[in-house]
Amino acid sequence: MKEPQPMQGESVLPKVLAGDAPLAATPPMDSDAFAGFYQRSARPLWAYLARVSGDPALADDLMQESYVRFLCSAWPETHNGEGEVAARRYLFRIATNLLRDHWRRPRPASIEELPEEFFAASDRSAQADSQAVLGPALAVMRPRERQLLWLAHAEDYSHREIAEITGLASASIRLLLFRARRKIASLLREQAARSGRES
Amino acid sequence: MILNRCAHESEVAQWLEHGGWPAVCPAELQAHVNACRSCGDLVLVTESFQRARAEAASTARISTPSALWWRAQLRRRQAAVERIGKPLLGAQIFALVICLLVGFGLLASQAQQGIAWLKELPQTGVYTLTALWSSTLLDSNWTLMVLIPAAVTLALLGGTVVYLASEKL
Repeated sequence: MKEPQPMQGESVLPKVLAGDAPLAATPPMDSDAFAGFYQRSARPLWAYLARVSGDPALADDLMQESYVRFLCSAWPETHNGEGEVAARRYLFRIATNLLRDHWRRPRPASIEELPEEFFAASDRSAQADSQAVLGPALAVMRPRERQLLWLAHAEDYSHREIAEITGLASASIRLLLFRARRKIASLLREQAARSGRES
Repeated sequence: MILNRCAHESEVAQWLEHGGWPAVCPAELQAHVNACRSCGDLVLVTESFQRARAEAASTARISTPSALWWRAQLRRRQAAVERIGKPLLGAQIFALVICLLVGFGLLASQAQQGIAWLKELPQTGVYTLTALWSSTLLDSNWTLMVLIPAAVTLALLGGTVVYLASEKL
């Protein structure tokens, strides 16, 4: 004869609250594996977020949120065999979605509502050499173009991988990237010519 | 827009990717890049972005992975608790609805008797509060019939409200 089973909430809730729970989904990777993955992927991810958004403070926040969402998602369990390259691609996809959500949010209406970091970020970004060259050109580009260019030329992702990360159709990546590259190359040349004349 | 993709572009991209550009790359290819706009754009943009990436990565402010790990664990736990709590909230709402229905049913049934009693009141000749109170006390069955269900309803509703309020806090 079968023994009566306790109700689901009755048996699971105290364990969950106590912290020694078998949660609905087990953690996707242990803390050591995550630490290794984090050490290898955090700097490129931060660079992507900081240069595409133009705001290092925002990059800090979005990077942390990206990792937390990555760990909370079911993806690492279902795609465990695909390796670190695929995991990193998924991480970039989360970060790209977070950036898109940030850009969709309504902007502060007046200058008083802008956070202090907004001004500090602009000052800091102008200090670096490469940023002084690339920064003004990137600022002219559309957010989507900045993403595509960074993923293709800084991260060396293929068109198929970029499509997976951004959610765009693979066929349109080639054309969008071609246009964006031509545009930023012209801007960089103009800038080089202007600085040559000034010096 | 016409895509003027050069045939040498993938070759140039490979040299750039493997770090051989321009040091160990053939001189003919370098000459081609100087003449071809598409390949020139590719080299200019890729070199700029690679430099920017290296520089940004070196200045990145990275927090400790353990903090993120525990933050994710807390969020997972919170999500699990919320999932389990959903049926409990449903049961609470069900209990509140039943209490309200019982309360309204009781009031409706008692209202009919009350209206009938009020209609009979002028005929009884009781007009002062003291006389009214003593006259109702005389009919002990009627008084208990009203008081007990009212007290039970109040206790049930009060208990439910206090419980729901404490849950929210």
